[in-house]
Amino acid sequence: MMLKAMHSDWLKLKGKGLWFLVCLGPVGLIAMQALNFGLRYDYLKKSYAADLWGGLLNNIAVFVPIALLMGITILCSLLANIEHHTSSWKQLLALPISRTAVFFSKFAVAAIMLGVSCIVLALGSIALGLGLGFGWALPLADIAKLGFYPFIAALPLLALLLWMCLTLRNQAVPITLGVVLAVLSMFAIAEWLPLTWPLLAYKAQKQEIFLAAGALGGLVVLLAGMVHFARRDVD
Amino acid sequence: MKEWIIETSGLSKRYKGRYAVSNLNLKIGRGEIFGFLGPNGAGKTTTIRMLLGLIQPSGGNIQIFGQPLRRNRLQILRRVGSLVEYPSYYGHLSATDNLEAIRRIIDAPKNRISEVLDIVGLSKEAKRPVKGFSLGMKQRLGIASALLGSPELLVLDEPTNGLDPAGILEIRELIKAMPREHGITVLISSHLLSEVEQMANTVGIIRQGEMVFQDSMASLREQAHGSMALRVSDSMKAMRVLAQSGIPSQHEGALLTIGQTDDEYVARAVRELVASGHAVYRVEERRKSLEELFLRIVGEGRGL
Ligand SMILES: Nc1ncnc2c1ncn2[C@@H]1O[C@H](COP(=O)(O)OP(=O)(O)OP(=O)(O)O)[C@@H](O)[C@H]1O
Ligand SMILES: [Mg+2]
Repeated sequence: MMLKAMHSDWLKLKGKGLWFLVCLGPVGLIAMQALNFGLRYDYLKKSYAADLWGGLLNNIAVFVPIALLMGITILCSLLANIEHHTSSWKQLLALPISRTAVFFSKFAVAAIMLGVSCIVLALGSIALGLGLGFGWALPLADIAKLGFYPFIAALPLLALLLWMCLTLRNQAVPITLGVVLAVLSMFAIAEWLPLTWPLLAYKAQKQEIFLAAGALGGLVVLLAGMVHFARRDVD
Repeated sequence: MKEWIIETSGLSKRYKGRYAVSNLNLKIGRGEIFGFLGPNGAGKTTTIRMLLGLIQPSGGNIQIFGQPLRRNRLQILRRVGSLVEYPSYYGHLSATDNLEAIRRIIDAPKNRISEVLDIVGLSKEAKRPVKGFSLGMKQRLGIASALLGSPELLVLDEPTNGLDPAGILEIRELIKAMPREHGITVLISSHLLSEVEQMANTVGIIRQGEMVFQDSMASLREQAHGSMALRVSDSMKAMRVLAQSGIPSQHEGALLTIGQTDDEYVARAVRELVASGHAVYRVEERRKSLEELFLRIVGEGRGL
């Protein structure tokens, strides 16, 4: 049933410029660092001489959380708006499909999109590092972690924003919240705050804790959202 | 015993302490076309939303195909096609893709899409994005979506909204053919009796959330029978004369009205009057149209 819903959601995204959105974040991040390293090439190369690749990845990592949360906000709002726009909820939810499947399908589609973004980010980082002449000793594990660890740590926020977007007709509220969260996510305010997990999941020593917290928190918020969505009245 | 496709008991929905629907006992049998009538805000859409499981009733029960909706919602919805209020659609997709998005969920055969587009007369527009459609075309697409899963029960909320007269006629013919050709049961809501009069065999009239009439179309027609108006020289006295010979009547000014219209009865009344020296100037039949009756049923209790 889940797959049917996703299959249908996929079709509804046709012509919404989704792949452009998916690439926008990672390409933006890479372009920013290309500029940074291009302008201050000699200086940065000297200061990161011990670990050129590590220096590059750390520079990118600072901006991954804000790009990630912006992407989450836009994606969730887009997925929800497809149904809100002409009140398609009443048609969709009168079909023989469970509401949990409908909700989870949107979540899965958003997660797949973000996953693709993470892959694009990894490929972009490799291209940039090679382009800058940092050599072929690729720190592949770190390159993969660069996008995926913050993404997993951001799952609670994805579930929360998706829930708000799908249940609130007025998208201004979740979008505002998403943007505020995105900006704040650049700062390691406090470890217990889910908002800081995307940053810490890459930066901190004990990354696994933030990954586990993200996955678990994501599941809890997702389930809460599903239960609420399944019970509410549809206008 | 008759097989009920839809059966509700004590169905109610409360919004902020106000009942939008209260204590509704709906009974719709297999193969019927049920006209669900009522003025704006009577609770038609609210009832239909409850029947489709879109909103939770505040009280009461719903059985569809003899199964409780609360427990078997998905099994039931598999056999139901619906159109609620104004049509829903994905504007950036073509009509075909709109139907395909639904088909992927309900697992209908692929060629069913062109079939239903053909039924509602949209085959030529199938490839255009729906946001460029007129209201009537969107409405047709909504009806096509409802038919897509070859349902046994069709629930249509004001399906002719926005259609031109030719379109209304077309949809009416289409709906009329449903029970005959496919054994489909239809629930169709409307503001206007005249719109469902020619297709419904049962009507339910709802007013301020309460069902005020539920019976066959034939029985509604019967209630709409006319009366005779007689203009006589002295209506007060004439009324007494008629009363003495067992003919009840009312007088309004110089007019006297009697409730039955069959020839024998009218002839007897005139005979009695003439025999007792009254002049009878005019005898007119007054037909109460169905629409008038409907308005009276709906209007009662208005303007508190
Ligand atoms: N979500 C809601 N919140 C509060 N009140 C509601 C809600 N939905 C409907 N109502 C109220 O319930 C009543 C019945 O509304 P409903 O839409 O069922 O009427 P209707 O018979 O379909 O009318 P129409 O012919 O105009 O479509 C109205 O008084 C309306 O204001
Ligand atoms: Mg309505």
